[in-house]
Amino acid sequence: MSEVLAAYDTLAERILAALRHDLSDAEFDSLALDIHAFQRRWNEPYARFCATRPMPTNWREIPATPQNAFKRFALSCVPGEHIGKTFLTSGTTGETRGAHHFRDTALYEAALLAGWRRLDLPRLRHVVLAPTPAEAPHSSLSHMLATLAVESGDTKSVAMLGTALAFLHHFETTPARVLPPGSFAMETGGYKGSGRDIAKVELYAMFEQHLGLKPDAVLNEYGMTELSSQFYTRGLGAPHTGGPWVRALVIDPARDTEVAVGEAGVLRIFDLANLNSSLAIETQDLAIRHEEGFELLGRDPAALPRGCSRAADEMLRR
Amino acid sequence: MNTLARAIALAEVCQSFPFLGPSTTDDLLAMVIADFGSATAADDLVPPTVLHILAGNTPAAALQTLTRGLLLGAHNLAKLPSAGLPEVGEFVARLPAALAARVETSTTLPEAWLEQADAVVIFGDDETIAHFRNRVRENQRFIAHGHKVSFGVIFDDPSFASVEDAARDVAAFDQLGCLSPHVLYVGGDARAYAARLAAVLERIPRTASPLSAACAIRALREDFAFRAANNEPCAVWCGANSTVIYDETPGFPHTPLYRTIFVKPLPSDWSAELHEVRSHLSCVGVFPNGAALAKLAIGRICPMGLMQLPPWTWHQDGVAPLASLTQNPG
Repeated sequence: MSEVLAAYDTLAERILAALRHDLSDAEFDSLALDIHAFQRRWNEPYARFCATRPMPTNWREIPATPQNAFKRFALSCVPGEHIGKTFLTSGTTGETRGAHHFRDTALYEAALLAGWRRLDLPRLRHVVLAPTPAEAPHSSLSHMLATLAVESGDTKSVAMLGTALAFLHHFETTPARVLPPGSFAMETGGYKGSGRDIAKVELYAMFEQHLGLKPDAVLNEYGMTELSSQFYTRGLGAPHTGGPWVRALVIDPARDTEVAVGEAGVLRIFDLANLNSSLAIETQDLAIRHEEGFELLGRDPAALPRGCSRAADEMLRR
Repeated sequence: MNTLARAIALAEVCQSFPFLGPSTTDDLLAMVIADFGSATAADDLVPPTVLHILAGNTPAAALQTLTRGLLLGAHNLAKLPSAGLPEVGEFVARLPAALAARVETSTTLPEAWLEQADAVVIFGDDETIAHFRNRVRENQRFIAHGHKVSFGVIFDDPSFASVEDAARDVAAFDQLGCLSPHVLYVGGDARAYAARLAAVLERIPRTASPLSAACAIRALREDFAFRAANNEPCAVWCGANSTVIYDETPGFPHTPLYRTIFVKPLPSDWSAELHEVRSHLSCVGVFPNGAALAKLAIGRICPMGLMQLPPWTWHQDGVAPLASLTQNPG
């Protein structure tokens, strides 16, 4: 048992040192392959999956864990008694929730703060529209927003942080109030299970109308319970980007190869900070590849076929 | 034109669309006889105006409902899906002028159409149906065909005699029809049947699926590959043209369609297995033909291989195909 913990500690040190903006491609590749070897050795369900795939020679070839696997398998390198934190996916009623197990949240927090500082935002007083970690101990979002409190300042201007759904409720229930100059907002998450859906451009119009924030003063965070690092975009029309320790490929679903710039596919993410679980995750989100980063399309339910035999899960959701 | 003349003309046009199945003059007249008692009974009807609100998933449903309207001598207003449905144009182009004049098409819905219609036939999701249900008048007939799912049951087929038929039922219309099977329940060695089905499906060419479906299929494939690698009782065959998933987990599976078919062992408890989809079941394909499935109480039970070819006299969703267009509601 000490072997896995020692290996974890060694890699965690290297990952902490890699959370910097000038991480080279070669360093990323080398560290990714070492983390993969560790996960292949100690994460048993993932190891069994990898046994059916070729051994990778570079980070792009590392077998990606399907996001759904977090719902069925305990994806952890350290044994259960060493799991210090578990975040659960939000899941609608009756749906199995995915579990992301951490040895501790040190790497998660370091990656989060490194990614946030990369945005070079002013330190403003934070206003959080989300439950606290005490209220939602299994919510990675609550943990994330609470962790970001160390970046909070004592200012008149504010940084409002919350889910898109929380902002929507705020706009619908609170009178419009223009925030002091220099304020900004960060919204995240979709409308899963809420029965609500609103185009981003409409949501950002509400930010302007209710809070006086121009679109460029609103950031969107793309993250997942199954990840430790995040991607951000600012305003409308710009792609999501992350720190060099977290990379995204947009994959042609039929050919399993990266699409060309400007084309759409499924998003596969490689997050060095995901040490205890799986650094490569195949999401179920669609995205368009950009020269740098990606434009998120989400799960694109509008593009699903309509008709009398639409996908059964659509039907059963009613 | 009287009913016989219309039936002759329509039967000829239907021959150009093999996916409509057997469509002789007698097949069409059988509908008239079944619904009205004689082949000439519809000659004296005041022709109704029928509004058809069509879905884009299969051209078969669209051409069938238009054929039924035309057979009655109705004036037909066809609201096409916004992306169009080229088969409707081809169908109308082949009609004799007297019948072609009785079809109007549009990809948008002119307000007057809903007003003019004596009967509204609609294919679509629950939301669309609810929208139009609220807009029809009390004296307008409203025939709705919503979401449906179908499945196959192969009781005993150690020599895989039914695989070609099953593959044809899965492949038709890229599985988007309400008669398309989502799952095949197989007695005996279901896993071996799945492997054989995968091989046969791969021989049937197809066009690419839309991106969102392709991504959903990929997610399902990877999910089952992960589960199979972890010794769960499942397996997945990923081909260029199809995905076959063998899964012993109880419950009616969800498939992203486009030739993504589940193969499962025969359930010990049909009631529990079908519980979630009970109110949405449309058709069961059965092998060997004649095997007893009466206890399932499902509208249409047919031999495997004919799932996509319902007879013209079939009462889809319990509705008489012609009489429903002419009788007063209630």
